[in-house]
Amino acid sequence: MKRSIAICFICMAIMLLTGCWDRRETNDLAIITGVALDKTEEGLIELTVEIHSPGGSGNRSEMGGDSGGGKNKTILQTGKGVSLADAMEDLDEKLSRQMLWSHAEAIVISKAFAETGIRDELDFFVRHPEPRLRSYIFISDGKAKEIIALRPSLERSSSEVLIKLAESEVLMKVTLFDLMEMLKGESGTSVLPMVAKSPREQGKAVLETVSYINRSAVLKQGKMIGSINDQLTRGVLWFRNEIKESIVTVKPEEADGYISMDILKGRTVLIPEMDGHRLKMTVKIEMIDDVIQNQTDWNLKELEKLQMLEAALAQKIEQRLTDTLEIVQKELKADIVGFADEFRRKYPEKWKKEKADWEERFATVEVTFDIEAEVLRTGRGSAPQ
Amino acid sequence: MRVFYRKRVKLKKNNRDQHNDAQHLKPLYSDLEQNLEMLHMLYDDCSDVVFRSFLIAGKTKAQLIYIKGMANIEEMDSNVLTPLMNNAEYSAINAKSLIEQKLSVAEVTKLESFNACIEQLSIGNPILLLENEQQGYALGLAKWEKRSIEEPTGELVVRGPREGFTETVEVNTSLLRRKIRSPQLKMKSLKLGRYTQTTIILAYIEDLANETLLEEMTQRLSRIDIDGILESGYIEELIQDHSYSPFPQVLITERPDTAVSSLLEGRVVLIIDGTPFALIAPTTFFALFQSAEDHYHNFMISTATRWLRYLFCLISLLLPSLYVAIITYHQEMVPTTLLLTMIDSREVVPFPALIEALLMEITFEGLREAGLRLPKQVGAAVSIVGALVIGQAAVDAGLVSDHMVMVVAITGIASFTVPRYNLAIPIRMLRFPIMLLAGTFGLVGIMTGLLAIMTHLSTLRSFGVPYLTPIAPMKGKDMKDTLIRAPLWKLNTRPHFTGDYNEYRQAADQKPDFDKGGEE
Repeated sequence: MKRSIAICFICMAIMLLTGCWDRRETNDLAIITGVALDKTEEGLIELTVEIHSPGGSGNRSEMGGDSGGGKNKTILQTGKGVSLADAMEDLDEKLSRQMLWSHAEAIVISKAFAETGIRDELDFFVRHPEPRLRSYIFISDGKAKEIIALRPSLERSSSEVLIKLAESEVLMKVTLFDLMEMLKGESGTSVLPMVAKSPREQGKAVLETVSYINRSAVLKQGKMIGSINDQLTRGVLWFRNEIKESIVTVKPEEADGYISMDILKGRTVLIPEMDGHRLKMTVKIEMIDDVIQNQTDWNLKELEKLQMLEAALAQKIEQRLTDTLEIVQKELKADIVGFADEFRRKYPEKWKKEKADWEERFATVEVTFDIEAEVLRTGRGSAPQ
Repeated sequence: MRVFYRKRVKLKKNNRDQHNDAQHLKPLYSDLEQNLEMLHMLYDDCSDVVFRSFLIAGKTKAQLIYIKGMANIEEMDSNVLTPLMNNAEYSAINAKSLIEQKLSVAEVTKLESFNACIEQLSIGNPILLLENEQQGYALGLAKWEKRSIEEPTGELVVRGPREGFTETVEVNTSLLRRKIRSPQLKMKSLKLGRYTQTTIILAYIEDLANETLLEEMTQRLSRIDIDGILESGYIEELIQDHSYSPFPQVLITERPDTAVSSLLEGRVVLIIDGTPFALIAPTTFFALFQSAEDHYHNFMISTATRWLRYLFCLISLLLPSLYVAIITYHQEMVPTTLLLTMIDSREVVPFPALIEALLMEITFEGLREAGLRLPKQVGAAVSIVGALVIGQAAVDAGLVSDHMVMVVAITGIASFTVPRYNLAIPIRMLRFPIMLLAGTFGLVGIMTGLLAIMTHLSTLRSFGVPYLTPIAPMKGKDMKDTLIRAPLWKLNTRPHFTGDYNEYRQAADQKPDFDKGGEE
């Protein structure tokens, strides 16, 4: 009996001794929703975080009626330092609350920063237990701080805008994890979405506008070397077999207008071939589209017309891919289309030799296309001609 | 400690000896006067016992003894006193012929000892003592006020019989007998309680109930020696396997159909006089999640409801703890949008989440308890105050957050989905230690708490049957009525508790089918 009482007391003491060392009440937390990384002129790292500002339940009634800017309950805070961790310490001094990084799902890096290399600083995000590997990475055209300082009217915060933009998958969607993989990949190149501020409407406050993704940044060994526009980005997505959404408008020969098609399904297979010193790559694409607009007087029920349309579609895609390849292969000399991994997979032994000067070799890869386009749904109804 | 125990044993023995030595065990005398003197002495100062002396046919002395309010006086007048007193034809009266010819009473029992007299009197039967007879007669004319059969309030069903057990043991046994007509339904009677002498009926079906189970039950009952048994809880506490466990190891029911279904599964039912609750043993953890209705509704619906109960049982046990653990230790687990709303609502709350949760949960339990005991006239007051306390007013006062109110409300409702009140109570109780663990160790604490509960549950046994049967030990065959409720034509075998058992309960292959049409 005495023993069981003693055990009871010991158990209770154990519970008290820990002192709840990991406990963090939400009232003592600053929830970071977005991160912006900039470089100052002195070469220091400028870390700006977007923090959710808790309204408290008293504010709830105001939230409903007030529209526009009133909804945005975020504040910005900036810290500077020689490294990201140093900047964070500086930031910590300026904040009354403990930072919670778990919900920082958007990381914006300025172009200037990216050009000097992001690999070293990303180490912080990977090493720290709180930030998510699934957070989205963006490169900003101007200062990154300006992107997350925006006050969008549709979403609650600018980081939420960024997250939704990435998730819509119209252009690139790159998470921290993807970026790590790209940096580690055979080619050492990576491609990231670029965000820019949309021009503000007249009569609106400076910050009352949104950011949008319009280009993609190309990085080599973690350093930004250039960017490609939205059309080329879609081309890259085709190569990478990541295409989700793409509307193609073609004007078949003999037709009197344009026909637009939306992609239902697209699949790309890269087939590498090493013929002595020559490198060849066959890009095999299968795509299924449906017609979303028909300006012509074509009746697409006719097999002949349909085949012509399909041919035009395949040709259009091929054109787009060739254009992409032109820029990527010749101008940027960055293998962001994933050829390196394919070669390594098929010729692991020979690849070891190629890897050393892949940058040069990549430009010499002869690419042939094998595109199979199918228009599945032509649509029955049509505006009277 | 050991010394103390020995002393107690001795004390017990003494008590029992005294008890057994009482005079009322003696046989009746042949002299009426002597008998009366004895009975008067036994029922000294008992104003409710009536002694009525009269002469049979104006000659033989006789005495009618009964307890006021427990015997049917009209019947006594017309069927006993009138024929016996008015008839002058009898000269030499022989007791046997008298009873046979003149008494128009169905049930007559011969009495040979004072003990038997007392027993019959306390049931309510009047006893008749005659001059120069060494035996008396108990007349089955007992009639006392009893509650009529009503719908059991603790175990309501939408579909199913509406009758429930009452406080009278005879009514309860008749309810069972009406459902099981086979003479193989056995009902052994025994009396427990030194002063109350409560009747306890041990009901089982011969060939279905395991012999060893019966033996064990009889043995455990025979060990009971207390002064009184007022409710089934007395018996339950004295026969269960593990005393230091909050979980019920005996199933309690008010419903005859539940009792009958248990009997058909080879279980034993105890009916106790004075309470509408029957005890069923052995029971398992999962049997406590079954409602009588499960077998009356479509099997798919019953399976879904059963899963709903399991889910809400977990919610009732864990939801406040999960809330506390996640909001204080694992904020990264909450979807961002939800976390931001939670934080907004918690911003003004001055307490840690653990204190907030304890505050609300204790308040809720208090309200529940108050609601149970409250006189009907003030019931409305509590519901109004309760709605204020656990509601918007508490949030507006800055004591708790909106989400905490939601959590408490859902938890409160969840605990009532467990069909057995005596299982819902320990689950509600265990919520509090788990909440403390969650507040100190986070999810690790919750897991530790759950492991401790699981360990405890798997050590429990109910009359030798592992409590978590058929999950642990795993019994595939019995699973058909545990995690799911298989269709009736699939429930061919009885659940297996221990030892030999009568395996098949119905003919195989009874699934209705077009090919098996009535026309042959």
